[in-house]
Amino acid sequence: MKILDHLEEWLITFLMGAATLIIFVSVLHRYASGYAIPGLQDWLISLNVSWAQELCIIMFVWMAKFGAAYGVRTGIHVGVDVLINRLEDRTRGKFIVFGLLAGALFTGIVGSLGAHFVWENGAHYSIFKFLGIDTGDLYEGPTTPDLEWPTWIVYSAIPLGSFLMCFRFLQVTVGFIRSGELPHHDHGHVDGIEEEKVPVDTNPYGMDDNLHPHDIKHHRIVERERTGDGK
Amino acid sequence: MSAAIIFLLLALLMLTGMPVSISLGLTVLTFLFAFTEVPLESVALKLFTGIEKFEIMAIPFFILAGNFLTHGGVARRMINFATSMVGHFRGGLGMSSVFACALFAAVSGSSPATVVAIGSIMLPAMMKAGYPKPFGIGVVASSGGMGILIPPSIVMVMYAVSTNSSIGALFMAGVIPGLLLAFMLGMTTWWQAHKGGYPRERPHSWSERWQAFRKSVWGLLLIIVVIGGIYSGLFTPTEAAAMSAVYAFVIAVFVYKDLKVSDVPKVLLNSANMSAMLLYIITNAVLFSFILTNEQIPQSIAQWILDSGMGMIGFLVAVNILLLIMGSFMEPSSIILITAPILFPIAMKLGIDPIHFGIMITVNMEIGMITPPVGLNLYVASGIGKMGLTDCSKAVWPWLLTMLVFLMLITYVPVITTWLPRTLGMM
Repeated sequence: MKILDHLEEWLITFLMGAATLIIFVSVLHRYASGYAIPGLQDWLISLNVSWAQELCIIMFVWMAKFGAAYGVRTGIHVGVDVLINRLEDRTRGKFIVFGLLAGALFTGIVGSLGAHFVWENGAHYSIFKFLGIDTGDLYEGPTTPDLEWPTWIVYSAIPLGSFLMCFRFLQVTVGFIRSGELPHHDHGHVDGIEEEKVPVDTNPYGMDDNLHPHDIKHHRIVERERTGDGK
Repeated sequence: MSAAIIFLLLALLMLTGMPVSISLGLTVLTFLFAFTEVPLESVALKLFTGIEKFEIMAIPFFILAGNFLTHGGVARRMINFATSMVGHFRGGLGMSSVFACALFAAVSGSSPATVVAIGSIMLPAMMKAGYPKPFGIGVVASSGGMGILIPPSIVMVMYAVSTNSSIGALFMAGVIPGLLLAFMLGMTTWWQAHKGGYPRERPHSWSERWQAFRKSVWGLLLIIVVIGGIYSGLFTPTEAAAMSAVYAFVIAVFVYKDLKVSDVPKVLLNSANMSAMLLYIITNAVLFSFILTNEQIPQSIAQWILDSGMGMIGFLVAVNILLLIMGSFMEPSSIILITAPILFPIAMKLGIDPIHFGIMITVNMEIGMITPPVGLNLYVASGIGKMGLTDCSKAVWPWLLTMLVFLMLITYVPVITTWLPRTLGMM
């Protein structure tokens, strides 16, 4: 489980950084190849970076899908929680479980639809071909315009990301039912006015706002901060 | 009829407190499954193709750039520069906060990020200098709102994406309203400080100002990279966003050295987390607007409004009220993604300029960020200042009033927004 967590974090960190670098390099390339530096210019022009934009989009879509799953684990997804945050702990707990299961249901359905789509649009063909089974009249599936990658590999972000997200929703539900706690990334991380340096992972969406449900332990945390002990 | 079902379903699901993205998605699935013949498989494909637009990718880049800037000491140097320029007025640190927020807004695309960056330095400084806490919180929470009005702006990118407007023209249109708002908030701050008799800073000489400017110039140059790059056509908005992310990384890590290289993966992960959340809302909002269009809902609402003889002025009032109410309960990106596909076609039929309409919506979102019960800026400011939310909401009211006046101005004097992009030939 730890491995999956780390893999997820590494993947989205890498995608974020790499996509930025790719666009940066492709812009540099566009302007650098405009200067008449002997040798260098010819070499730059011979490089084709027209695929950069497409690759960046693919990377960001993958980042979005897996990042959304990671977001369930960090509890970042925003909702309208003003109403349920005013309810009694027990009733609110029921709403929270309902919301989490609805998330699992939606991502589960989308994952299945996506898997079906990917299977019909090339995965079936490729896997059968790879295994040496007669492919018959199966559809080979389209490829992307610039990189010419099979789209089924690119689109497999939908089933993989959605199933991971579904799993995360279920994981959070189980955790909540057991301990009454929701993942809170940094409750009160921008902490106190004595601290001038903001911690690097401060997140404006991670505050104690009404965009996220309060869990059962919430009142105790608030109480503890008010009285000033612990943290 | 189908419009009523869709909106009722969406409202019900959202009120249960589940994520906005999930409520949008479930509404679409339920509706498609129960009331239409549209094949469900098309939904899965839309989930990928929905965000397959290069313009949308500006959002993660701007978030990344903003995160590097927040922790990279850029804000601190901008504050020093601002203090050297306006610190000698009555309520000097408050005035400097407004000025510094405006400067930071010109490199950051998000309001809460601006509040974090400026507030975490300015609030403690104001407490030390003996300003009352509500004054400090009011200044910072409201001025931080300029983050989404002064370009770059993530909210404007959202609007541009969901209405197919030009990001460049929207950014340019935000410049003059942004400066005007900075001036108006500055005046309010001065008036409050004058009434309360708050302290002022010692006046700075021009050579000190030049020093402060030189130290903050690396951050200020970013304004030129983004605005200049987009206007001159050197970069597309997305490329400009990527350039500013790399630039922000370089100054934070190598020039100002306020961020350790070992912190970079954390910043990347944190930005990815935030961007993915927004991108996930976009994906599902695309699905949602797909069924709206499929059911011809925007057209029928537009027809209904035209027939009712509401007219442009009445429509704009109604939009402002609707958005202000929604702004008190939801977060800006979700509001824009849900309402823009419906409101935009109506606005077009009434002959409202798309760019002007976009800026008006943005100003509404800004106000929504400082109105309780849900206002991101308020939460951030209350977190930094350790003051309860109710007290924070009371603290912002003078600035809130100013912003409402400003909203009226923007709504009914479109030339404030459209003059600059039109003069520059961008629309």
